[in-house]
Amino acid sequence: MANSVDSAQTSSPSVPTSAPATQQSTDMSSQPPSQPSSTGASKPAKQPKQPKANAPAAGPGEEKLTGAELKKKAKAEKVARRAREKAERETTGGAGAGPANPTSAKKGVAGAGAGGKDVPGQQAQKGQKHRRGSNSQPSATEQKKKQEDKSVAVFGHLYGQPRRTTIAGAGKEVHPAVLALGLQMRDYVVCGSSARCVATLLAFKRVIEAYTTPLGTSLSRHLTTHLSHQITYLSTCRPLSITQGNAIRALKLAIASIDPSVPEASAKATLSDFIDSFIREKITVADQVIAASAAQKVQDGDVIVTFAGSSIVKQTLLTAYKQGKKFRVSIIDSRPLFEGKNLARTLANAGLEVQYSLVNGISHAIKDATKVFLGAHAMTSNGRLYSRVGTALVAMSAKERAGGVEVPVIVCCETVKFTDRVALDSIVVNEIADADELVPSEPQQQVTGLFDPVAAAAAAQPDPKKGNSKTAAASAPADTTPAPDASPLSNWKDTANLQLLNIMYDVTPAEYVDMVVTEMGSLPPSAVPIVHRMSTNL
Amino acid sequence: MASTTSAPSEASKPFDIVATYNELLRSDPDLTMPIAAIEALVLLLTHSPSSTISETLDLLEKSTTHLKKSIPNPIGLSAGTDLFQRYLITTLQRPGQLGPAGDFNAIRAHLLSNGRLFIRRAKESRDKIAAFGRGFIRDGSTVLTNGGSRVVASLLQKAADEKGGPFAVRFRVIYVLSPAKDSSAEPEGMETVRALREKGVPVATVPESAVAYALGKADIVIVGAEGVVENGGIVSRMGTYQIGLLAKAMSKPFYVVAESHKFVRLYPLGQYDLPIEQRVIDFDTEEDITDGAKSQSVAHSSDVVDFTPPHLISALITDSGVLTPSAVSEELIKIWF
Repeated sequence: MANSVDSAQTSSPSVPTSAPATQQSTDMSSQPPSQPSSTGASKPAKQPKQPKANAPAAGPGEEKLTGAELKKKAKAEKVARRAREKAERETTGGAGAGPANPTSAKKGVAGAGAGGKDVPGQQAQKGQKHRRGSNSQPSATEQKKKQEDKSVAVFGHLYGQPRRTTIAGAGKEVHPAVLALGLQMRDYVVCGSSARCVATLLAFKRVIEAYTTPLGTSLSRHLTTHLSHQITYLSTCRPLSITQGNAIRALKLAIASIDPSVPEASAKATLSDFIDSFIREKITVADQVIAASAAQKVQDGDVIVTFAGSSIVKQTLLTAYKQGKKFRVSIIDSRPLFEGKNLARTLANAGLEVQYSLVNGISHAIKDATKVFLGAHAMTSNGRLYSRVGTALVAMSAKERAGGVEVPVIVCCETVKFTDRVALDSIVVNEIADADELVPSEPQQQVTGLFDPVAAAAAAQPDPKKGNSKTAAASAPADTTPAPDASPLSNWKDTANLQLLNIMYDVTPAEYVDMVVTEMGSLPPSAVPIVHRMSTNL
Repeated sequence: MASTTSAPSEASKPFDIVATYNELLRSDPDLTMPIAAIEALVLLLTHSPSSTISETLDLLEKSTTHLKKSIPNPIGLSAGTDLFQRYLITTLQRPGQLGPAGDFNAIRAHLLSNGRLFIRRAKESRDKIAAFGRGFIRDGSTVLTNGGSRVVASLLQKAADEKGGPFAVRFRVIYVLSPAKDSSAEPEGMETVRALREKGVPVATVPESAVAYALGKADIVIVGAEGVVENGGIVSRMGTYQIGLLAKAMSKPFYVVAESHKFVRLYPLGQYDLPIEQRVIDFDTEEDITDGAKSQSVAHSSDVVDFTPPHLISALITDSGVLTPSAVSEELIKIWF
């Protein structure tokens, strides 16, 4: 959901920026689990990212091993070998991947069989058998054995390439502005579909400004391919949002419609004007219109529930507040992005009455709600809302509130977020983020955690009721973690039978949405395809 | 004309839009609120000496707001005024002779003639609706209806008129009557009941409290509407919502008959989200004996309206076809963009 660019960048103290930072360091050393199909290359846990060309070739490689595929496989194995050698040279930075852990390695054997539901994964193991047998070094065998498939089977198709972690390997065509933006999007510094769309367009404007048509081609023909490099790079950092896709489509159409005889300078000026007006019409002004019309639905005495941090909902609530309406806001937030924290701070600073709770407290937060305002990542053609994971839960809680009056659910959404795609569930189309984001836990302000649990229990003996519950809470994590400060999940990749899923979006059924406020008016969700058709044909 | 405080040039011609509107409604019992509003605005333009486009639009704007303010329930009316305003703007924006560059007098003449044409067409739409809706009344069925809707009346009479033809149907009507404002007058809808009985249609009249009791005998429910809102719900006389709820609970089809000029650009989220002040629920700690007039003005079912949400409605029978509730927004978008 849409943290606007400015607010997201000023959010230094909040968790969203700090969480990716820690995760980035682990990514550097340990390979993300999401490569079930990469053949011999995926054996060692410690290994830098593979060359990009390898992954797409690996998929079909398992099905039928033609000569070319075998060749590729051999190549991949070579790469893996080299990587392993490199990893062995620098064994110092082992982040959580303890090779000398006999229990986890033993379990890993069973886990590999159980977790290897993916056929390619098993075949890949078969392919490696001879190498495993020959290799008698204990640490290497263990590393191979614990190559349990860490991707959740239902969402297996969503694990593409892991997100890019460096700008290394990016083509020389990629503009520095795009390089920077890619990493910012990856780290959620630029987050929210509107913000990402605007940032992409602004970066592309700089690309176009810096662009010169090579000899022998025309701008309208060549610029599109030049942009494609940038787009490919961006999509390796994080999958493109619907808004980005829509904006890129519009931009490409504008490029293609430029007459080849137009001089380059004026063509570039036209394009940068196009980008400016696209941002203004589809997002900036649209947001103002939406905020104004959605604010009309806020009445005195309302308790408005919202989920995570949508920039358009923020604008709406601030507009309503400026109109002098008296209402309360209840922000529901969720891990790991905590987008609602920013919203809570902004609204509270503006003077609104804000209540902040996490999504696990939804049943309490929804009790006194009178309206629900939601942001959107996209609206699909069957009227469903595709938004930050947890949105569907909030909408459902509002509509199915036991014994209560129905609470209207209002979605604020620019028409640039409409797509002609259809979403029946949140499994087919979704985005999976790095599961490591789920691992870091909040610093615990635990008094009892400082002591030895036995000693603490002994100390708490006079007051058994209170003491027992406290020590139980304290000792539970202490059992599973080696270090008291680390998260119990910190070495989840080496723990057998444990899979982490960090899904980004979910789909809210159209029946749970009462109204979609767009810049073209308020619509029922069923009218989304009509408006989408009109706004793209205009 | 629009209001007493408006420009002095308007004061020279004493054209009262509110009086005209009320007079139009009184003189023609077949006239609906949006059409009366459009007719009043056309009359206003005929009387006004405005000579530029912006002046005309300004005058229209002012009169519309004045009219809306002085009518207790402007929902139905606003459908007409919005439509007229929209039509005016699109006409003026069109390039060519009648566009902004053209001769204004020609534009005005064109507007007026077209406005009249629109009114005539709107009146004809009732026949169209009757043609569409007749198929919904099956032979041997029982129809439950309420209120004094003229479209429903014309639909039922049309169905009753088919005697001996291939489409002849025999049907019965349960008419839900609410008591009239003053006890001496007959309740609204009595006229239709009489007309139907004259045509040989058996009609039973029941009070509003007997809807749930009577619904078991009915096969379909047909109601009229004051306004059809954007999400496909209807704003209609008080009591329609409960009929809709009961019909849903008993799974009887619930049809709404409305002309397409009753489509309003309005999106109520619930009963209390209508842009009008209704004093239906009035909490009091003591009985109000002295103010007899007040208690009568409050909450009379022919004055106040409720909102029937789209999920209770099976279909809307309009002059542009039989629509599902979700198709209403499509129609509205077509008009507005």
